[in-house]
Amino acid sequence: MQNKELITINQTSQILGVSIDTLRRWDKSGKLPAIRLKISGHRYYDRNLLAELMPRLDIYKLVLKWASGKTAVEPLTDFYCPNSSIFQARLSRFETELIKSGVLQDKFSLLTSVTGEIGNNAYDHNLGNWPDIPGVFFIYNINNRQVAIADRGQGVLTTLKKVRPDLINDQDALKMAFTEIISGRAPESRGNGLKFVRRIVIDNKYDLLFKSGQAELRINKKSNGLSIVKAKIPINGCLALIKF
Amino acid sequence: MIIQLKKFGVTLTSRQLGKEALSAFTSSLPGIGEREIIEVDFDGVNTFSPSWGDEFLTPLVKKFGARFILKQSDNPSVVATLKLLEEVNGYRLNII
Repeated sequence: MQNKELITINQTSQILGVSIDTLRRWDKSGKLPAIRLKISGHRYYDRNLLAELMPRLDIYKLVLKWASGKTAVEPLTDFYCPNSSIFQARLSRFETELIKSGVLQDKFSLLTSVTGEIGNNAYDHNLGNWPDIPGVFFIYNINNRQVAIADRGQGVLTTLKKVRPDLINDQDALKMAFTEIISGRAPESRGNGLKFVRRIVIDNKYDLLFKSGQAELRINKKSNGLSIVKAKIPINGCLALIKF
Repeated sequence: MIIQLKKFGVTLTSRQLGKEALSAFTSSLPGIGEREIIEVDFDGVNTFSPSWGDEFLTPLVKKFGARFILKQSDNPSVVATLKLLEEVNGYRLNII
């Protein structure tokens, strides 16, 4: 027990975005067993167990609750990349696990590249300007063929406005980010990574959901190319879910 | 001169790291002859991305022009990245 890093039930509730009642039910059912300290009798949770469970939950819901929450809560360390160096290390691990799994054969590099472009965008466009918590929430489940990345940064519209001041809404900003080649580089080094993401997603028949501000973009079999609608749940930063 | 990209890492994916790699490489530029061919070898690279590629390759394409050559790679992320870089930057890469 002494080697376990324990987290309170309140913290666990915040990290997972579920109610305390749900955690009590999960404790009873054995889905996420709690640890009761003899002295207080309060429920605590083993951080390692939480880290094992999280990728097996609905990872989209996890990152969406985190990105859309009014209060910034630091994700579990295993999935939180506060700076680009940590993201790079986790991306390398993701790449290694993809190679070992063999699910994408030689195409592992495309998914790693796309994931890298999305994650690195968060740091490139928010450095020194994070509204609250810096960095990205990066989680994946290779068996379920899903990867999710979210940040609580300024979002595509705010960052793209620096090179295209005429942009007025999130939907137009997403469309431009994913479709138009942006040649104006000043005042920031604005990349064309999301065009690359679109191309790889379409060519390899992945499903992509990308949210920023009040806009939600989808590329999948049903979207007939690219579909952008008003998001039911807005977020300030960006969120991407790729099903591969 | 042959630039073996794997010496900069096998997962080449961010602007920041692309800039750092270029900065490290440019320190060796004074030793390059006026007519010397500069050849980029992707062998051993697992993942390549437009952000890293743009920061590292684009300035070298502009500096060396026809003397700057890329060795053909069958890595899908290298192929896709080079194609995008040509489109967004409006240059033609010398791939052999």
